[in-house]
Amino acid sequence: MASLGTFLLLSAFVVCSYAGVISVVGARRGARRLIESGIGAFYLVAALMTVASGVIVNAFLVGDYSIKYVHDYSDSVQPLFYRITSYWGGLDGSIMFWVFLLSVFGSIAVFVNRERHRELIPYVVAVISTVQMFFLYLMVVHRNPFTTFLTEVPADGRGLNPLLQNYWMVIHPPSLYTGFVGMTIPYAFGMAALITGHLDDSWLRAVRRWTMFSWIFLSFGLTLGMIWAYEVLGWGGFWGWDPVENAGLLPWFTATAFLHSVIVQERRSMLRIWNVTLVILTFFLTIFGTFMTRSGVVQSVHAFGSDPILAKLFTGFMVVILTFSFGLVIYRLPLLRARNELDSWVSREAAFLVNNWVLLFSAIFVLFATMFPTLSEAVTGNRLTVGPPFFNKWMLPIGLFMLFLTGFGPLLAWRKATLSNLRDQFLWPTLAALVTGGAVVAFGVRIWSSGICFALSAFVTGTILQEFWRGANVRRGVTGTDIFTALVGLVGRNKRRYGGYIVHLGIMLMFLGFAGTGFKKETQLQLKLGQQTTLGDYTLRNDAVKVSDDGQKQMVTAYISVFKGGKQIDTMYPGKYFFRKHESEPTTAVAIRRSFAEDLYIVLAFQPSDLAAQSASLQINVNPLVDWIWFGFAVMAIGTGIALLPERTYAFALAKLPEAAAGTASATATGAALLLMLWLSSASLLAQHEAGTGLMQPAKNALEGQMRDEIGCTCGGCEHEALSKCVCGQADQMRGELRAQVDLGKTHEEIISHFIAQFGGQQFLRSPIDKGFNRLAWLVPYGVGAVGLVVVGMTARRWSRHPDKDSASDEPKDPEIEERLDDELRNLD
Amino acid sequence: MTHRYIKVGLTSAVLVLAFTGLLWSTLRDGTEYFKYVDEVLPQRQAWEGKPLQLKGYVVPGSRLRKPDTLEWKFKVQNNPARASESGGVVDVSYTGIVPDTFKDEAEVVLKGQLGPDGFHVVKDGVVAKCPSKYEAAASASKS
Repeated sequence: MASLGTFLLLSAFVVCSYAGVISVVGARRGARRLIESGIGAFYLVAALMTVASGVIVNAFLVGDYSIKYVHDYSDSVQPLFYRITSYWGGLDGSIMFWVFLLSVFGSIAVFVNRERHRELIPYVVAVISTVQMFFLYLMVVHRNPFTTFLTEVPADGRGLNPLLQNYWMVIHPPSLYTGFVGMTIPYAFGMAALITGHLDDSWLRAVRRWTMFSWIFLSFGLTLGMIWAYEVLGWGGFWGWDPVENAGLLPWFTATAFLHSVIVQERRSMLRIWNVTLVILTFFLTIFGTFMTRSGVVQSVHAFGSDPILAKLFTGFMVVILTFSFGLVIYRLPLLRARNELDSWVSREAAFLVNNWVLLFSAIFVLFATMFPTLSEAVTGNRLTVGPPFFNKWMLPIGLFMLFLTGFGPLLAWRKATLSNLRDQFLWPTLAALVTGGAVVAFGVRIWSSGICFALSAFVTGTILQEFWRGANVRRGVTGTDIFTALVGLVGRNKRRYGGYIVHLGIMLMFLGFAGTGFKKETQLQLKLGQQTTLGDYTLRNDAVKVSDDGQKQMVTAYISVFKGGKQIDTMYPGKYFFRKHESEPTTAVAIRRSFAEDLYIVLAFQPSDLAAQSASLQINVNPLVDWIWFGFAVMAIGTGIALLPERTYAFALAKLPEAAAGTASATATGAALLLMLWLSSASLLAQHEAGTGLMQPAKNALEGQMRDEIGCTCGGCEHEALSKCVCGQADQMRGELRAQVDLGKTHEEIISHFIAQFGGQQFLRSPIDKGFNRLAWLVPYGVGAVGLVVVGMTARRWSRHPDKDSASDEPKDPEIEERLDDELRNLD
Repeated sequence: MTHRYIKVGLTSAVLVLAFTGLLWSTLRDGTEYFKYVDEVLPQRQAWEGKPLQLKGYVVPGSRLRKPDTLEWKFKVQNNPARASESGGVVDVSYTGIVPDTFKDEAEVVLKGQLGPDGFHVVKDGVVAKCPSKYEAAASASKS
């Protein structure tokens, strides 16, 4: 199998070079058939990479440890699901996964745009092929994931790091890669436009959605990284300015800048050089980020070991990218000249410009600070490092300024804002900010940055609400419908603008979460058995430290009773898990008690000497507002979704616009990715679901029956099926356990706490206990359902109405506002 | 037109100067020297009191903890524990939670200051990396 894999990679390389060369030749000669052949070869690469991926995943599944990569990153006891994800668990595989994604995305992009952007396609194919060739070359000559042991094939693998055997880590890397790889598509189109000289705005239209799509995945990946750090690594924070994290953040800054400045180009035909530059920079930074984390240039606690050959290859490639790209930009400068000038600094385009500079500055600063240790060593010979405080000192004011712009920019008119419309626009948001600021001072908040952040958040919210309110009101006046239909119509008519506002809302919520860290309380201490401590409003008591075993791992769990206001509100179970074969690297089971206001966060630091006395070393944090970060991301995703949705979703409210097809493409891609994930998970789960005896004794009494429904099987293979249904061995065992408890005459609560003791947490319950944050989880589905119902109802009402009745009152009520709105809406989406 | 260029030039110059100034002033108190044990020991006096990130390896069997507290004392040497020579050795004191990877022979980076009686680590200043086969995997999936 290994030789088949290597052969596939080699043929992919050959086909790739053919695709690149033949496309360029075809385009130069204007030979349609050559170009078609190039495109065909390009699709073939995607097919080859898919088969190669299948080969390596298969090797992981069957445990072919003759392949070094399989041996290094998996073993036979690993759950099936994690064996598949081992594919991208190491350096070699991650490069291969990169090429696989790029070939698939590239094929989709070419397929969708092959008619509409016919003149660009051959060069798009050539550019993407070149990038693929670089990575394929890396694999073939230096980092082949199919390398085998020449002698002495080991019987079992070394296994994946237990820290990575976590749900978040399963979706984090692919999501981040999707974001990274997706940025190659805009770059390829940009280069094709530069080469062919078709520098009108059509190439932008082709890549806008791709950039948005990649951007949301990049954001998703970064957020997942934060969640992982917060929930799994257990140091109490979520962002440590580690070089590896920063590598993902850099292209995010430039991509965000591009998404904004592209609007200025479409609207005012300005910033054309700038936009091309941002596309190039974003792509460059994805490559640079990969280089930084994979070559050992930057030292990080969890960076790769150094690999000088890889570093050299990457450096060469980056030099080529920069020379080629900016060479082309300079060559095409005459065609890129702006058609308009900035009329005034008090205008929307000026605000966009400032936003761009701030984002770019952030990227440059983070890059500088990340590279600082390396730079200082090269210059002075002394290795100087800068830590998170340095980053925070700079990024805090920058972030606040960015938040301010989020609220400020949308209020300005295009071209030139007049004094009267400034007064009109700023009144309410400024008032909101002042009131909040006043409240913050009145409540005696001592941390200025967080206080300002709260006031700015109110400002941003005011801006966004005002935009929605005014827009919807005008539209209601025009169409004569109710305010809700007007709102949907408004969003539908200009999805990108109003979707963008929702994204801003999400960003604002995330900032709330960031501001919360200013009020963080933490302590580290040793709690003897029965001893208490107090942090914030909470009093915690160490009730016990126990050891249990579930076959796969040993678990040390501390039982911490939590009191608030003299009453016990919870029992929390922070733990350490010692996985078989990885006893020297225990994983942390953080106990988190979530609420909107603050999280109580407990980490158990295990010391063997503590065990006899049941004494516990604890790190306890109270993290205010942290959960708003994850909420903020969800809101951001919804906003991006609205902006990305194909026009036909809103068809009842508007006429069809030409972008529909491109939208469908990205939607298809998302759908395909989701399907793939679903398939992967279900396939692995099915395979893992081992059959038990299949015999099930009837429940002895009502309590047992009820609890069989409440408790889910924990074998990990059966979608957490109820004990009353599941027939696997684990379920048999758990039913036995339950029967024993029922026989002892225990009550419902007693049995639950017995199982909690056994499993070290509540994961065995099919639905979370209805209290605290969990209640929110209960609420969300109902909330979503209710909102959905309202939407459906309104839509149905809208549809069932006679069309002629709608157009009856087409007379704008306020011609001035309508005109301004229309002016702003036109050509924007 | 020249008037405009002067304005743009002046603005840029002021901005660049302001940023450089800010960067310089913040860098001065935000930076730490990254040094190996053997780089520090020869001029011990000179390094005392400076913000340091000290890199070394935990001397096997040197880790002591006062019972039922979080007070640690241990020794760190320049070379890996199994190397033929240990290199310079420094006494270290620390109060707080240590990472799971903090074991005998572990490779550590300690943040803190050198004093006459040894190295004092600041809170959360112990970063340990076990000489593990997995370090590549961890970062591969993180990026």
